[in-house]
Amino acid sequence: MSAVTSARRSRPLILRHRGRLPILVGVAGALLLLVVACVGFGQWIAPHDPSAQNPLLSATGPGGGHWLGTDRLGRDVLSRIIVGARPALVGPLCIAVASVVVGASLGLIAGYRGGVIDSLLNRFADLIYALPALLVAVVVVGVVGGGYWVAVLVLIVLSLPGEIRLCRSATSVQARLPYVDAAHTLGVSAPRIMFRHILPNIMPTVVATFLLDFAGAVVGFSSLAFLGLGVQPGSTAWGSMLADGQSLITINPWLALSPAILLILTTASVTLIGDWVHSYFAADRGGR
Amino acid sequence: MTDVGAASTSRRAAEDPVLSITALNIAARRGDRDRTLVRDVSFSIGAGQAVGIVGESGSGKTMTARSIIGLLPPNVHANGDVRFAGIQLSGASERALRTVRGSRIGLLMQDRFTMLNPLQTAGTHVVESLPRQVRRTRSQARAEMRRRLAEVGLDPDLVARRYPFQLSGGMRQRVALAAALAGDPELLIADEPTTALDVTTQDEVLQLLRRLQQQRGMALLLITHDLRVAFSVWDRVLVMYAGSLLEEAPADELMAAPEHPYTLGLLLAEPPVSHLVGSLNPIPGSVPAADDVANTCAFASRCDWQQPQCAASRPELTPVSDSRASACIRLTDIRGQLRQRRMEVELPVTPPPPPTGQPIAVISDLRRSHRTVRMLGRPETTVALNGVSFQIVEGESLGLVGETGSGKTTIARCLLGLDSPDSGTLRLAGIDVTNYRRLSRADRHSVRRLVQAVFQDPYSSLNPAFAVGTTLREALGVRGRVIDPDRQVGELLALVGLPASYSRLRPATLSGGERQRAAIARSLALQPRLLICDEPVASLDVSVQAQVLEVLRKVREQFAMSMLFITHDLSVVRQMTDRVIVLRNGDIVESGETPAVLDSPTHPYTIRLLESLPGHTTDARPGNETEPAEDPRETNSPAEIVGGPDRAGA
Repeated sequence: MSAVTSARRSRPLILRHRGRLPILVGVAGALLLLVVACVGFGQWIAPHDPSAQNPLLSATGPGGGHWLGTDRLGRDVLSRIIVGARPALVGPLCIAVASVVVGASLGLIAGYRGGVIDSLLNRFADLIYALPALLVAVVVVGVVGGGYWVAVLVLIVLSLPGEIRLCRSATSVQARLPYVDAAHTLGVSAPRIMFRHILPNIMPTVVATFLLDFAGAVVGFSSLAFLGLGVQPGSTAWGSMLADGQSLITINPWLALSPAILLILTTASVTLIGDWVHSYFAADRGGR
Repeated sequence: MTDVGAASTSRRAAEDPVLSITALNIAARRGDRDRTLVRDVSFSIGAGQAVGIVGESGSGKTMTARSIIGLLPPNVHANGDVRFAGIQLSGASERALRTVRGSRIGLLMQDRFTMLNPLQTAGTHVVESLPRQVRRTRSQARAEMRRRLAEVGLDPDLVARRYPFQLSGGMRQRVALAAALAGDPELLIADEPTTALDVTTQDEVLQLLRRLQQQRGMALLLITHDLRVAFSVWDRVLVMYAGSLLEEAPADELMAAPEHPYTLGLLLAEPPVSHLVGSLNPIPGSVPAADDVANTCAFASRCDWQQPQCAASRPELTPVSDSRASACIRLTDIRGQLRQRRMEVELPVTPPPPPTGQPIAVISDLRRSHRTVRMLGRPETTVALNGVSFQIVEGESLGLVGETGSGKTTIARCLLGLDSPDSGTLRLAGIDVTNYRRLSRADRHSVRRLVQAVFQDPYSSLNPAFAVGTTLREALGVRGRVIDPDRQVGELLALVGLPASYSRLRPATLSGGERQRAAIARSLALQPRLLICDEPVASLDVSVQAQVLEVLRKVREQFAMSMLFITHDLSVVRQMTDRVIVLRNGDIVESGETPAVLDSPTHPYTIRLLESLPGHTTDARPGNETEPAEDPRETNSPAEIVGGPDRAGA
């Protein structure tokens, strides 16, 4: 009695879903929780006052009560990145929420209605795709003025097309299924079919794109901050700290490295969780 | 214990079987546990024998076939002994299996859409499958390919350079068959080779398979869910149910005198095409998961003769005569009763006269065509409906019969406002519904309450995100004035024979038949006067088809509803309709009262439909050699080019 076949093509253990939470996703979740705590309670967590200057300790390496050293003005780097979580992440969160709400709605309408609305939305998406996103953001924010919320608004518009496209294609798959015909036959109204019937079935896609949007917005927003746009001079946003730190990279590398590492870890965690959420729900719905 | 079964099978097969399977177990890994899919299956096939495995969904028939050639899905594993022509296939390396697959064991699969590579011509498919050991020049290979295509009844000049999407379903299946036979296999495994085909095509492909099998002296393992298919051409039939083999017998003996209650149930559940019966005989309940019945008689929970000993242990397939085996432990006690039950022919009922009265639906000169836009070249127009006119009288059940692309679903979609005709008019109870968008709000509301539908695929016609109760409550809400939703939902479920507790369940946890009944309940929520049923049982297991048909009969009687019953199955037409319309390529070719049309059809197409019912035909059909290649114009049928409007393949 031997095995006839045992083809086992499975995902790497570290990403395997169902049953147990994969280790990597657990780690990512824990990290995000930490970051969220910093967003909410940064001032209280930070060991030092992030804006307290100490000319005697200008640009020193780690040590002497400053775990990550100090910047040019002698401010504690650790405290600054903790407090900096809020300006670095609240904007992207608003961007992701707004673009998922608007984008998913437009995507639903385009995918369900088709026709002229679909074409118009698709051309709009094409148009935005054709623009060099960050360049547009730089120009608009530079010309209109350096407001935080202007940057948020510009990034919302720029992240819409991806959201619309994904939700549109997910919707058009669902719209062809008989349950939609059945609802139509019952006389259920179009908005209700879209938002009550189809939306729950494309939720895995919506949640995943929300998280990916968020990750993209964190990077985009920090890029603007790095260029000094959308933030006040001396801001603790991670992008600005990265800009401040680059000239001191040989003296206190942590000044530039710590916000950079945090940016990478945050976006990677969000992406990882997004992927996991998508495959988890997809597996949940998969069975006939 | 299994050795007994295996020994007897091999005795019945040739002295030296081509394929022998002993104690095959297949399980799927789910989480930390193995779930049984197939339990302890043993059988063998002699050289040149044709054996059919019949089973409903979840019986493990496909897994059994796949395990032979080592093509199980990931996370599914098998153990047991599989020998093919003296070679041990179980445990063989992928490399060793590859030398057998294709060249010595051919495989023909179900899905005619995905089986062929869409970017390769029919000819390329065959050339690729020719044995590699023989060196051929290009022209030799081409000549061989043409010979192979001709062998399966295709005209090489017409077909060889065409791509799969340019071929009709039957032609695709023939190309696949030519490719499967290209390596001159000793054994051909055909998994539901005709399921997705229209009845007339299905018949042609079965005849072809049988003829080639005999000419080549090849062994054939045919897997099907359709008893009629298995009986029409096969020597020996194995009946599989929920992972176990329940019976094994020569086809004609199995049909005449089944020796397992399940086989009997299947035979009785089949609605007869020859006459109307007062009540259909569904097998109660639904097919259990193989894992749940791994240690009992798989059929015990649905069996009329069940006794405690049936659930106590798992009965083996034991020889009961020279040529037969059964897994029923009570066979000696109940054999007489089984025979008697089989003999009791359900008495024909005189069909009631078709109702005469006011028409509820009037369809006149309905035309609809679809335009296909090509990347290059002119857009192509295909006609779905070519001026169709008919009426449905209040209280009447009208059957609409036709093949893929005949336009029958287009009619239903137009009536439901899911599609709009190019010209012609549709009136429902006096309201012109030709264009739903032009209806006033009040009219649209009353039309919705007039006509409702049951769709073909119960797996996707209920919203997977909603519990059954939510779906029904929504439907009730459309009607207005829901005073006590829980009670009303319970009443709806009771109408279709489901317990009220089902309102809390999601569709994914229900079986196909239960889902279809929930879908019927939804359509009844509005108390429509016309119910459109679009192939409501086509994708259900045989044993539950009759349940759903009975439910539909009952509710029609109870509410005195009219029905438009779309189907390809003439026995369903016989049981469910007063009048019938036969559609072909968008035209009505015959119509009349159901008994008259089915008993004495006049149009050649209707006659062909009746003749092509599996089991209806005789083996020795004249003119096999001159069997015409299918009409290439059929490729223009809209369904096959644009994937709609007929969703028969859903």
